Amino acid sequence: MALVASRKTLIGGMTVIGLVGLWFVLTTFTGLVTSARFPSPAEFWLSLKQINGRGYAGSTLASHAFHSVKLVLMGFTVAVLTGVPLGLWMGWNRRVEAFINPVFLIIRPIPPLAWIPLAILWLGLGDAAKILVIWFSAFVPSVINAFTGVRNIDKPILEAARMLGTPRWRMVREVILPASLPMIFTGLRLSLQASWTTLVAAELVGALVGVGFVLNMAQQDIYPGMILVGMVTVGVLGWATTLLLARVERRALAWNVAARD
Amino acid sequence: MGSISFRNVDKVFGQGTGGVKALDDINLDIADKEFVAIVGPSGCGKTTCLRMVAGFEAASAGSVQVNGRPVTAPGPDRAVVFQQFALFPWKTVRENIELGLRNKNLPVGERNDLVASALKLMNLETHVDAFPHQLSGGMQQRVAIARAYVLDPEVLLMDEPFGALDAQTRVVMQEELVRLARHNPRTVLFITHAVEEAVYLADRVAIMTRRPGRIKEVLDIKAVRERENWDSHARIEDVMDLESFVHLRTHIWKSLREEKGFKDV
Repeated sequence: MALVASRKTLIGGMTVIGLVGLWFVLTTFTGLVTSARFPSPAEFWLSLKQINGRGYAGSTLASHAFHSVKLVLMGFTVAVLTGVPLGLWMGWNRRVEAFINPVFLIIRPIPPLAWIPLAILWLGLGDAAKILVIWFSAFVPSVINAFTGVRNIDKPILEAARMLGTPRWRMVREVILPASLPMIFTGLRLSLQASWTTLVAAELVGALVGVGFVLNMAQQDIYPGMILVGMVTVGVLGWATTLLLARVERRALAWNVAARD
Repeated sequence: MGSISFRNVDKVFGQGTGGVKALDDINLDIADKEFVAIVGPSGCGKTTCLRMVAGFEAASAGSVQVNGRPVTAPGPDRAVVFQQFALFPWKTVRENIELGLRNKNLPVGERNDLVASALKLMNLETHVDAFPHQLSGGMQQRVAIARAYVLDPEVLLMDEPFGALDAQTRVVMQEELVRLARHNPRTVLFITHAVEEAVYLADRVAIMTRRPGRIKEVLDIKAVRERENWDSHARIEDVMDLESFVHLRTHIWKSLREEKGFKDV
């Protein structure tokens, strides 16, 4: 097991080193790709130093990143806290499903990004508009997966719980919720991804701080080095939050065989 | 007290012309502390009989009663042991067994005593804190049986409980169930398609026809068992070797074979 894991890390590390090497070759060494199109490693490094020191687009990378993470986590949390209970409820109660599903079917095909103009119109360029848009986009996967989670519960498990005389709320807390938890976490992963996508898009369109704003400014300044800094930052932050979520999931699903590999 | 009675019970799945008649005029009385096994060809509706007593299905006609009261919903007075165990994977062995007692709002002390004795009864003491997926199939079914027994139910409903176990584990579990049933007798409705198992375990065996299922014949095993003193043999293979056992088994086999739906047993 440990051997396989370390080998995986090794291969992954080699891929990254290979890509960075290729980057060097294409830009610095051969000049096949000019710095007007894509920054060289040195230019990337200079941009990184600049935004960390003097700052760029109004503040340092850390405060841009902090702001973006804060919004993602807020939007994501609101989406999960509203989406998962609604999904569970719809899964459990056919009447609730019948009631809400039509609304869902109409709203669902609208890409979350299409809400951005309306959100900005309502709430301006501040945080509230972005949280609202993140909420829209992260809400859907949370609902759908929680719903599917409930619907896929093994029937004998529910029958066993009923046979044991389990009262309603204990049924929700101790049977339906844990039984749906693997699917719920699938939904959370998708929601988190959607949160980042939406946030960056929203910040690109209208913001005064944040990683998406850095990208937007760098584009207007025709500054490839800074564009890459913004992109890498989004990648790293997305990866880190996903990792955090995976850790929570592993802990919450310690009983689940399927979650172990 | 725990008697079960089926009175002219029909069960139709689906509606109108698309409906399929699964059970046809089932009549069966199971006395308090009696162990009755139902055998029948696949799809004959024997599991449906059990599910109606459990309260998971309603009869289309006739009535299913426990202690003279019609069954309306599932409840802890009718504990079920499922073929696929149906344990809660996120609960430990103890928590699985404990849930029914918590639902009864028993005080903690009493609850712990009951759980402890159930664990002891099923030889699970060393696995108290294990999760189901860490246990073998046989162990998981022990937990499910303990979960049912600890409720002290009026009737115990076992739906092919050993069907998912390998042959050797199955034999051990059958012997243990006999030990349990003799030591602490209660009303049991046991569904199986394994003829030997039925003859070995039950006081009476009801044979069903193929779909739509009817009760074709009910055999009194207990009379033979007591007359031939089967209980003096500790091992299942010794009992199965007895002429009286073989005779009953063959009788049931022949009866089942007459049914066209007979394939696997």
